[in-house]
Amino acid sequence: MRKKGLVSRMVSLVLVVGMIAGCSNSSGTDAQTGASENSGDTVKLKMWGGVPPEAGPQAVIDVWNKEHPETQIEYVRYVNDDEGNLKLDTAIMTGQDVDLFVNYTISHTAKRVASGAAADLSSFTDYNIDEKMGADAEGWKIDGKYYGVPTTKSTYFVALNKDALDAANLPVPKDWTWDEMREYAKKLKKDKGYGFIQNTEPFVDSIDSVLSQEGYTKADGTSNLDHPMVRKWLETLNAMMVEDKTTPPLGEQLTSKMPVEQMFLSGEVPMLNIGAWLLRSSNNFTDYPRDFTIAFAPVPRLSEDKDGYVMRGGLGDYISINAKSKHQEAAWEFLKWYADGGMAPMAEGGRFPASKDADQDKAMESMLGDKKDTYDQESLMYVMFDYQTPTYVRTVPQEVMDLRAQEYEKYFLGVQDLDATLSAMVTRHNDFLKTAK
Amino acid sequence: MEVKKRLSILQPGSLLITVIMLALAIVMIIPFLWMISTSLKTPSEVFKYPIEWIPSNLTWEHHQKVWSGAKSFGTYYLNSLKISIIGMVGATFLSAFAAYGFARIDFKGRNTLFLLYLSMMMIPPQVLFVPKFIMFEWAGIYNTHLALILPGLFTIFGVFMLRQFFLSIPNEISESAFIDGAGHFRIFFRLILPLAKPALATLAIIDFSWQWNDYENALVFLIDENLYTVPLGLQNFILENTVDYNGMMAAASAGIIPMIIVFAIGQRYIIQGLTNSAVKG
Amino acid sequence: MHNNWMRRQRMLGYIFVGPNMLGVLLFFLIPAVYSFGLMFTDYKFMNPDMTFIGLDNIKRLMKDPLFFLSLRNTLIFLLAVPVSIVIGFIVAVILNQKIYLKKLLRGLYFMPYITSGVAVAFVWMLMFQPNQGPINGFLRSIGVDNPPGWLSTTTSSMYAIDIIWIWFMLGYNMIIYLAALQEVSSELLEAAKIDGARPLQILRRIIWPLVSPTTFLLLVTGLIMAIKTFGIIQATTQGGPGNSTTILSLYVYQNAFRYYDMGYAATVSWALFAIILLITVLQWVGQKRWVHY
Repeated sequence: MRKKGLVSRMVSLVLVVGMIAGCSNSSGTDAQTGASENSGDTVKLKMWGGVPPEAGPQAVIDVWNKEHPETQIEYVRYVNDDEGNLKLDTAIMTGQDVDLFVNYTISHTAKRVASGAAADLSSFTDYNIDEKMGADAEGWKIDGKYYGVPTTKSTYFVALNKDALDAANLPVPKDWTWDEMREYAKKLKKDKGYGFIQNTEPFVDSIDSVLSQEGYTKADGTSNLDHPMVRKWLETLNAMMVEDKTTPPLGEQLTSKMPVEQMFLSGEVPMLNIGAWLLRSSNNFTDYPRDFTIAFAPVPRLSEDKDGYVMRGGLGDYISINAKSKHQEAAWEFLKWYADGGMAPMAEGGRFPASKDADQDKAMESMLGDKKDTYDQESLMYVMFDYQTPTYVRTVPQEVMDLRAQEYEKYFLGVQDLDATLSAMVTRHNDFLKTAK
Repeated sequence: MEVKKRLSILQPGSLLITVIMLALAIVMIIPFLWMISTSLKTPSEVFKYPIEWIPSNLTWEHHQKVWSGAKSFGTYYLNSLKISIIGMVGATFLSAFAAYGFARIDFKGRNTLFLLYLSMMMIPPQVLFVPKFIMFEWAGIYNTHLALILPGLFTIFGVFMLRQFFLSIPNEISESAFIDGAGHFRIFFRLILPLAKPALATLAIIDFSWQWNDYENALVFLIDENLYTVPLGLQNFILENTVDYNGMMAAASAGIIPMIIVFAIGQRYIIQGLTNSAVKG
Repeated sequence: MHNNWMRRQRMLGYIFVGPNMLGVLLFFLIPAVYSFGLMFTDYKFMNPDMTFIGLDNIKRLMKDPLFFLSLRNTLIFLLAVPVSIVIGFIVAVILNQKIYLKKLLRGLYFMPYITSGVAVAFVWMLMFQPNQGPINGFLRSIGVDNPPGWLSTTTSSMYAIDIIWIWFMLGYNMIIYLAALQEVSSELLEAAKIDGARPLQILRRIIWPLVSPTTFLLLVTGLIMAIKTFGIIQATTQGGPGNSTTILSLYVYQNAFRYYDMGYAATVSWALFAIILLITVLQWVGQKRWVHY
């Protein structure tokens, strides 16, 4: 008798918890079905992207929604870091409303493709991605297929304070090496300040530009991270941090989340290694008042030899359609419109459309806005269109990026010498290759 | 007369000690002062040394930015309050209940069960995210506040802490009640709970601050921005404005100052709760 | 009759413990069992293929230098726990005296704890800034020529995190000690004082032993809390520079949510669990020597 009392109490508790859970569940679904009933024939799509809505996406979507009452898009912003990507991935996996999503790296895309989250676009035959986007689109094929449309042209460059260069009688480089860049940094450095800083995102581009060509592994399948050019990069950068003091020590930069854009735009540091997203801040005179002209140079290469040099670039903002979305057709219509020019307002934030059918002059117009005269347009055109080198899109797994970073950080902090650093990178990379198999 | 009861090993009214403790306390809150001061400065003044505690170019701009953003901190506050208060009340009560069972009732398997409890406490929360995630999804509470509230009702730490306190209450008190024919429920509600007020108050405020500051669970289990809690909204703001030190500090102040106000109001009751038990003798 | 009543009272134990146990079962035990199972698989988040790989993850762990490095960092991090407990105790004893501004002082010391979280980590990060930050600015102004690099060097970063942790936990330890000190009978202290015991003697011989159950509580829970923490580190250094602040909990998080390697993350976290268990059992056994109930 007593026992039964206990058991029934336990059971009723389980029921209570279950009911609370159940209630919330049913109310949740009610809200969802209610919404779709009310809106009649309107299709509602959710698009997940990493750009803040006010930096372009909202303007894009407002235009679309006005022109297409039958398909209404809602933009959901996720921060493009580990946590943001996790959030997007869980939303996809748990069947939350995600109809379209923007991928920023190949390694993220590959995971989403493997899990069946991204729809294979080859079933849509009315849009030839290769033809529209050009040869660079190839880099985004996964197992020979497109699981998304690369929409932007990614440009990476070194932004220069032209006034500072003029004062030092230095020309805007059209093609240069790390050694030349180091000399520039020395000449431009003002007493305690720096001559060159880098955004952390393109920090390792120079070594990837070598390894993407020469291979991350050697012919025998072992790590190629001890390539002579990796050594050269480590040495040069270290010399700039320690001997020349022309670039900030890495530890300091990382742990203080150094505001590199601000340091460049305030005139404190004359050279900044970054990409086209700089324009988002450099057009914003309210937060970043600026009194100099910005010029642009290609990213310097490590080797003296210009042949075989490839630069990071290619295409970006790879937009996929969720394979589980109920409105794939509608999403596809939107995606085509977006890629072929609908995305124009994004140019303001430095995202330049890749499609040959997009109005590029208009995009350039909107990219520079009324700040046109504060840029050296000749060199901008040069890095964006005329500097003809092949490009690569980074494909290294996150694990390798991290292990490499951990080892070079120790080197730049002076707690591990050059040879030990290279051999540690190789050992860890080999270990990774073994477990990844 | 209350003063007379207080245990004292030092000479009364040591001014020197007050001064030393006050100086140390100020060191403790320097990060907050610096934060507030920085949030009112312009970017170029952030790292000026010596520190200008009261900025010469006082600006409220950064605070305005935080409070007038697309998503208001107001919503985050309501969400956080709801989750933290329900969690705090529920967790404190349920912990006290269980702690009494563990401390005062000699039932079969008690010690084994308690050890199991303790071992649960040691499980790193990161391990539990994935399974919990699958469970919540199945129960339909993923992306609702219930995903935070329900687990928030149970704190193993609370059980452990209250058990330790209950153990320190002399056994004679309940024994005599037993002889008078009182059962465990009566003893619990009439005797133990009132005696444990300070411990309960302490647990409540600690639990509240845990729930209030919980970032990881909110991050994993909430998607909808309208459901966001303060830490999540805060982190989002910070991530979107990484180069804006002043804005970061203004956002940090927005996350912290209301907690300080709540504590400043509530601390009278906590301290009272703490000293009340001394009177019991 | 009376026996029966007594037995029923004993059965009530399950009812008292039951509700809480149900929650623990749902939100701790079941997920824990699940994640234990994951340890023997190569489950990757988002990847539908999952195979049983037996002890491979454990073998990998035993050969993983990063695991051992994280373990070492974790141990350095744990140094902060006893330090913050001792300081918390001293502050609590002093603030339990007849001194001025007591309430204000208690509030000030407790403040870091209620305002924990990511926000405060950012504040510290900026204050620790090696070249321009206010802390080194102050140190230079009092004549320290080479102030530490705090978070920015591999040798000092873990200790800088320790400082943040001590600062953060101090108020918590203090307030729990304060509650415990209310239980200490003042008659006993009066008696000791009349017997001519000196303040420090009273502190060491009477108060410290009397609050030892609380110390035990703080030590056990403090170590566990510290071992599980990662918010502060994630917000400041993300485990860097190098791997100098990668503690085990962060390593678990990275494997799970950065690399989506759930199987291995589960393995590391169970190793972490084993360590916590070992430390706790050692304390549990050791408590008989110094904890007085």
